[in-house]
Amino acid sequence: MLLLALDTATDAATACLARDGEVLAESMTLGRSTAAQRLLDDINHLTRAARVSLEELDAVVAGTGPGTFTGLRIGLASARALGFGLGIPVHGVGTLDALLSGDGVDVACIDARRGEVFCKGAGIETCALAPERLAELLPDGAVVAGDGAVRYREQLAAAAIPPDGSPLHVPWARYHATLSALWGPADPLYVRAPDADRSIAGAAS
Amino acid sequence: MILAIESSCDETAAALVDRDGALRASVVASQAQLHARYGGVVPEVASRRHLELCIPVVERALEEAGATLDDVDAVAVTEGPGLIGALLVGLATAKALAFARGLPLIPVDHLHGHIASLYLGPEPLEPPFLLLLASGGHTLLAEVDHREPGMRVIGQTLDDAAGEAFDKGARLLGLGYPGGAALERLARDGDDAAHDFGVAMAGRPGFDFSFSGLKTALRNAVMASGGSDAERADLAASYQRAIVRSLVSRTMQAVDASGRDTLAVVGGVAANGVLRGALEDACAGAGVKLALAPLALCSDNAAMIASAARYCRPVPFPEYLSRDAYATA
Ligand SMILES: [Zn+2]
Repeated sequence: MLLLALDTATDAATACLARDGEVLAESMTLGRSTAAQRLLDDINHLTRAARVSLEELDAVVAGTGPGTFTGLRIGLASARALGFGLGIPVHGVGTLDALLSGDGVDVACIDARRGEVFCKGAGIETCALAPERLAELLPDGAVVAGDGAVRYREQLAAAAIPPDGSPLHVPWARYHATLSALWGPADPLYVRAPDADRSIAGAAS
Repeated sequence: MILAIESSCDETAAALVDRDGALRASVVASQAQLHARYGGVVPEVASRRHLELCIPVVERALEEAGATLDDVDAVAVTEGPGLIGALLVGLATAKALAFARGLPLIPVDHLHGHIASLYLGPEPLEPPFLLLLASGGHTLLAEVDHREPGMRVIGQTLDDAAGEAFDKGARLLGLGYPGGAALERLARDGDDAAHDFGVAMAGRPGFDFSFSGLKTALRNAVMASGGSDAERADLAASYQRAIVRSLVSRTMQAVDASGRDTLAVVGGVAANGVLRGALEDACAGAGVKLALAPLALCSDNAAMIASAARYCRPVPFPEYLSRDAYATA
């Protein structure tokens, strides 16, 4: 079974080709807003490095967020179009779940901008909250990983956060490709409603 | 055939056009109802909906044409201008689809697309002509000399687009969003000479438009009126007349100055019946040939994008993989 996996929900866009659970080639491109746009280029390079063609793929697995709305959509739109074009299924894996698959990670924490983080793990259900609030909920010494943990290291002082350059902060697409137990529908997990919805709700209340 | 995808604003659209310009299928999923509760297009809401609709709309277009992806030999897509987050959904879809199928990608400019709504069969328009493009996002006059991308803009709106003026007027009259068509319906029962909103930019040199003053005049008139149905109909008719007069007088001046014998009119506002009638009268009087975009292709659609793609350079694989969208021209 040959799989292509990708995740563009965070500023670290990842992609991976895996056959029967073995990683053939893997990429990671960093950069706000530009990383997701490089995705298909990265995938093209992976197919060359692994000497496989897209026609051989059996399925595509995409990160479903949460993360940046636009980056997330670029990944899901690409994955769905690849699946449609190749006539193969498209599965989804939560980006927080991918981070939680890292060795020893207790809580996944993605920068949600506007002074908040998306987080999950250690009994915390997927949500957006201020890092100070997350700090209150964390068990002592919990290992917290993700770009949100790196950004709010100070606010999460009581947590065990791996060094900034640690691979544990990256939602590697290899997790999406190899952990089929995590597969669900390839639908976006925005967590937050559009601002316009919130202002309507605000005006009504 | 060419498969085209359009997602620059609040319509998710896909279309198939034969290499010889015959339209095989055109599917438009309008989000107008979705945005009505906000009183305008909300970019994040539009982008979310584009992601849901993009593949289903392509599937429906293929079904309508009785075709499969095997029949597609190029994928065209609107690259800009428009809402960046919305454009990126269509662009990512088109790029990945072309990649999966080993096809070239044809990036298309949205405005070139509107013009190309006139290049489809059965009677495709041949340049040169003078162009009036009037939509919710753009209002401009330009000289078009060929079907390939590129036009010489000689005038444009200095503030609101004509379609925006219709929508804002509709909102002032309590017609909700999108209100252009509703305003036209309400105006049918009104007296278009009941109020004199003037003609913006009248007497000024050049070919630019301005509609924001008109909106202010309408707001004042609405506040001064009693609000009865008859009064609202009069206001709608008079307001519509002012927009149409402004568009027609500027356009006919430009036709005259450019010495062109053909006027082409495209964009969402070109669907307005009063504008169509006024242009027909003016052109008949001036001995100018008038080409109006087909009603179905006035507002945003993918058929026009597929049409424009026939005159654009295909980008070969893998050059297009990292192409980006652009918000402004
Ligand atoms: Zn348009």
